[in-house]
Amino acid sequence: MKRNLIILFFLIAVIAAIYFFTQGKSEQKAQALRFVSLAWQERSIATNLSIVNEWNEQHPEKQVEYIQGTWNSAHDYLITAFETGDVPDIFHYESSVIIDYAMRGYLTDLSPYIKPEIKNDILDVAWSTVTRPNGEVNGIPFLIESLVVLYNKSLFEKAGIVPPTIENPWSWNDLRQAAISLTKDTSGDKIIDQYGAGIGLRNSANIIMNTSISFGGSFFSKEDNHFVVHVKEEEKKLLHTIVDMIYQDKSVAPASIGESGAGMIPGFFSGKYAMLVGIGSWARQQLVENAPKDFQWGVMPPLKAKTQMYGVSTQTLSIPKKSKRVSEAMEFIEFMLNSKNMARLALDDWMIPTRKSCLQMSEFQDTIGNWDITCSAVNTLGVGSWLGAPGYVEWKSRVANPVLQELFAGRISVDEAAERIENESNIVLSRYRKRGEVW
Amino acid sequence: MDLFKKKRHTIYSKKEIGQIQLLFPVILLVSVFSLLPLLRGIYLGFTDYRLGDPITFNGLDNYIQLFNDEYFWSSFKIGMIWTLVVTALQVSLGLGLALLLNNKIKFVAFYTVLILIPWATPPIIRGILWRQMYEPNAGAVNILLNDFGLISTPINWLTNFEYVIPAVIVAGVWGEISKAAIFILAGLQTISNDLYEASKIDGAGLWDQFWHITLPVLKPVLAAIISLTFMWNFNTFGIIWVLTQGGPGGMTRLPMLAAYEEGFRYGYIGYAAAIGNVMVIILSVILFMYIHVQLRERKEL
Amino acid sequence: MSLKRFFTKGSIHFLIVIYIVFLLFPLVWVVSSSLKSTPEIYSGTPTILPQQITFEHYLSVIEGQQVFLTMWNSLIVGIISTILVLLIAVPSAYAMVRYKSIINTGILGWILVSQIFPVILVMIPLYVLLRYIGLTDSLVGLTLIYVVWSLPFVLWMMHGYVKSIPIELEEAAVIDGATRTEVIFKVIMPLLLPAIGASALFSFISAWNEFFFAFVLMKSPALATLQVELARYTGMEGQARTGPLAAASVIATIPSIILFVFMRKWLTTGLVSGALKG
Repeated sequence: MKRNLIILFFLIAVIAAIYFFTQGKSEQKAQALRFVSLAWQERSIATNLSIVNEWNEQHPEKQVEYIQGTWNSAHDYLITAFETGDVPDIFHYESSVIIDYAMRGYLTDLSPYIKPEIKNDILDVAWSTVTRPNGEVNGIPFLIESLVVLYNKSLFEKAGIVPPTIENPWSWNDLRQAAISLTKDTSGDKIIDQYGAGIGLRNSANIIMNTSISFGGSFFSKEDNHFVVHVKEEEKKLLHTIVDMIYQDKSVAPASIGESGAGMIPGFFSGKYAMLVGIGSWARQQLVENAPKDFQWGVMPPLKAKTQMYGVSTQTLSIPKKSKRVSEAMEFIEFMLNSKNMARLALDDWMIPTRKSCLQMSEFQDTIGNWDITCSAVNTLGVGSWLGAPGYVEWKSRVANPVLQELFAGRISVDEAAERIENESNIVLSRYRKRGEVW
Repeated sequence: MDLFKKKRHTIYSKKEIGQIQLLFPVILLVSVFSLLPLLRGIYLGFTDYRLGDPITFNGLDNYIQLFNDEYFWSSFKIGMIWTLVVTALQVSLGLGLALLLNNKIKFVAFYTVLILIPWATPPIIRGILWRQMYEPNAGAVNILLNDFGLISTPINWLTNFEYVIPAVIVAGVWGEISKAAIFILAGLQTISNDLYEASKIDGAGLWDQFWHITLPVLKPVLAAIISLTFMWNFNTFGIIWVLTQGGPGGMTRLPMLAAYEEGFRYGYIGYAAAIGNVMVIILSVILFMYIHVQLRERKEL
Repeated sequence: MSLKRFFTKGSIHFLIVIYIVFLLFPLVWVVSSSLKSTPEIYSGTPTILPQQITFEHYLSVIEGQQVFLTMWNSLIVGIISTILVLLIAVPSAYAMVRYKSIINTGILGWILVSQIFPVILVMIPLYVLLRYIGLTDSLVGLTLIYVVWSLPFVLWMMHGYVKSIPIELEEAAVIDGATRTEVIFKVIMPLLLPAIGASALFSFISAWNEFFFAFVLMKSPALATLQVELARYTGMEGQARTGPLAAASVIATIPSIILFVFMRKWLTTGLVSGALKG
C-alpha cells in the first residue's frame, strides 16, 4: 500500500510542479502590458522592438512585452484569446477584420480615449475604416495598405514606353497596350519568356474589391438596411479587364494565376514580367533589399478606370475589451503612434502613414523608393461600400476568393462567376443577418 | 484469471490494491478528457452554438443545412477520393515493397533502415518537403519534368485545379508506404519458408505461391492495416493544411479542414460538430460493412 | 549462382532501389536546398546537389531561436506525456487482464471507438473544458491531452503482452512474499520491456508529430510546439524563405529519424505482436 501511495504522490507532485511552473510564467507575464505585433519585414520588426524598448526605458512601471504574431495565425489566436479572456492588451491587425470583432463585442471602444491632437492629425479616410456609425472606434489606424503597380524601368526604356506620372496617369487600356508590347520572346525559341504583366491572383479578393471602386461598382450595396451583393456591369467590366488581359491579350504571366503577390516578386526581379500589378506598397522593401544590382524600378500612380479612387484598408492597433489595463495600453499606443514613431514605422514597413504631419515630411516626398508617387495615392482613397458588412471576412474566403480563383484559372466565364458570387454571397450574408449583428 | 475472481483473497490479501485503484487513473483521465468531451461534442452537433453566443438546441436543423450545403458535399467527395486512393496506393505499394524485402538478398537490413526515414518524418514536415518539391520555379518536380522534356512551362502543382489532387495524393502516399511495408513484412516473416519449398516441389509458380500461401496468411494483417489506414486517412489534416490549406477553390478541402474552418475560423461550432457527427456515422458504416465481410470470410475458413 | 538467380536477385535489388529513390528523393532535395544559398535556389537552373555549400540558413535558424524554443516545448511535452502514459498503462493493463468486469469491456470498447471519432468532435468541448480549468494555451493541458491520446494504443499493446505472461510466475512471486505492487513492478514490468520500448517510442513520436491539438490549443507564439511553428512558415507573405525553412525542417526531423532508427527492432516485434496477440 505504501508503494502505491508513494507513486500516487509522485504523480501528483510532478503534475503540480509542471502546472505551477507554467502558471508561474504567465503570472510574470501578467505584470507587463502585452503587445502582439504582426510586423514581419526585417526592418519593421526592428523598429517595433526599438519603440517598445524606448517606452520600457521611460516607463519602468508600465513595461510592455513584445509578442511576435503572424498574419496567418493572428485571427485564430485572437479569437481564442477573446474567448478565454487571456488577451493581449494591445494588438496589431487590419481594419476590415476588426470590424467583425467589434460587432461581436470583443473590442474596447477607444473613442473616449482619443485625444484631439491625434484625432485631427490622422486622415479622415483612415478614421472611417475604424469608426462605427454610432461613433465607436475599434482601433487606431496607423498604416495605409495601398495596392500599387511596379514596373521595370529598364525594360520600359528598351521598349520605348513612357511611364505614367502623377499628372498623366494611365488608364487600364494604356496598361493593356503597354503589356502587350512588352510581351515577347527574347531568346528566339518561340516560347515567350517575357510577359508584360504579372498579377498575384491566388487570393485576389482584396485586389478586386479595392480596384472595383475605381470602376464604379463594388459588389456590395445596402438594401433595406442590410447588405446585399450584386454583380452589375461595372463589376463585370473589371473582371473582364483582367480575364481578357490573361486570355485575349495573353500578356499576363501564367504563373500569376496561382501565386500570391509576394510569390511573384522573384519573377519580377528576373525580368519574367515587366510590371507587377496589384501588389502591396510594402513590396518596395523587398525590391530595395533583395533585387539584383542595377535593377531599376518605378511605381505607377493609381490606374484610372472610371476614376482613380481605390479602396482603402488600414493597419490598426486595438485594445480587447477584456484587457484590464486599458488606459495604460492607450498611453502606449499614443506613444507608439506619435508623429515621429509613426513615420519610422511607415518608412520601415514601406507603407503609407495615416498622419498628415507624417505625410508632409520630406522622407515621404522622396523620389528614391518612389515614395512621392506612392503617397500621392492618398488623395484618391475611398471607403468601400462593403465597410461594415457583417460577414465580410467570411465572404472573402468562402465566396470571393474561390470563385475568383476559378474565374482566373479559366474554368468559368465572367457571367458564371457573377452568378455564383451573387448566389453564394447571399447565403453567407443571410446567416449574419439572422444574428442581427450591426456595424 | 478466475484465480482472482473466485479466490480473490487466496494469493493477495485484501489490503493489496485492487482493480479499482489500478484502473483509477485511466478511468479518470479517459472520462474527463475523452468520453465526456466526446459526448458533449456529439451533443453540440445538434445546437447552433457559435463562440460567444448562448447555446440553443436546434434539433436536426444543422443536418438539414448540411444536406443542402455544397460546401460540405464537395468536402465529403474529396474526402472519399483522397481516402480510397491514398489507402489503396499505400497498401498496394507497401505490399510490393514488403514482398521485395522478404527475400534473402544482401543489404536488406540497410534498405530497411533507409525506408524508415520517410515514415519518421512528421506529417507537417512531409507537407513542407513536398511543398518545396512542387514549387513552380525552384522545385524539383518541375525541374526534372523540364529536364526530361515533358513540360515547357512550369506548372504550379498546388494551385492548379487540374493537377492539385494528384499532386497532393502523391505527397500523402509517400510518407506511409514504409509503414505499410514494414507491417506487412512482419506478417510475411511469420510464414515459414518450408511452405514455399513444399509448394515449389508441387510445381507452384510465383503467382500461385503468392495467392495460396502468402495472401491467406496476410489477410488479417492486411485487413487491420487497411481499416486503420482508411480511418486515419479520412481524418487527415496537417499535411493538407501545409500543402494547400484546402485550396485552390476548396478542391482539397478534406472533411477535417472543412470542419476546422467552420468551427474555428468562422465560429460555427455547432455546425462543425454536426459535420463531425456525420463523418463518424459515415466512417462507422463503412467500417462496419468491411469488418462484417472480413468476419464472414473468417467464418468460412 | 545460376544466371536465372542472378537476374532475379538483380531485379529485386533494382526494384527496391527504385522505391528507395522515390522515398528518399524529397529528403535529399530539402537537405540540399538547406545547404544552397538563396540565389542558387532561385537560379533558373538548379541542380540536385548544391554547387556551393553554405550553412547560412542553419545559422539563421539557430540564431532565430524560435525553432529551438518550440523544439524544447515539443521535447518536454513528449517526454513527460510518455512517462505518464507508461506509468498509467502498465498497472491498468495488468488490471484489465487479471480481472473480468464491465470496466474492462468498457475500456476495451473505448480503445476501439476512440479510433473512429474524428478529433474535431472532441476538440471543441475539450477546448471549452480546458478553458474552464484554465489549461488552454498551457503545456500542462497539452501534455494531459497527449497522455489520453496515446493511451488507447499503449493499453492495447500492454494488454496483449500481459495476457501472454503465465500466471504461475505471479503465484511463485507471491509465495515468495511479494505484494501485488511488487509483482507488477518487479515481475511483470521487466517482461514487458519490448512492449514498453515500443510504446515509449510510439507515445513520444505521436506527441512530437502531433499537430492539430497543438495548433488549436497553443496560440501563444512562445508556447507553440515545433510542428505548429513550422506550419506557420508556410504561406506567409515573405515567401522567399525556402532556405531557412528547409534548414528548420531538417533540424526538426533529425530527432525523429534517430529514434526510429534506433528503435527499429521494437517497431516490428513490439507493434505487430501486440496487434496479433490482441
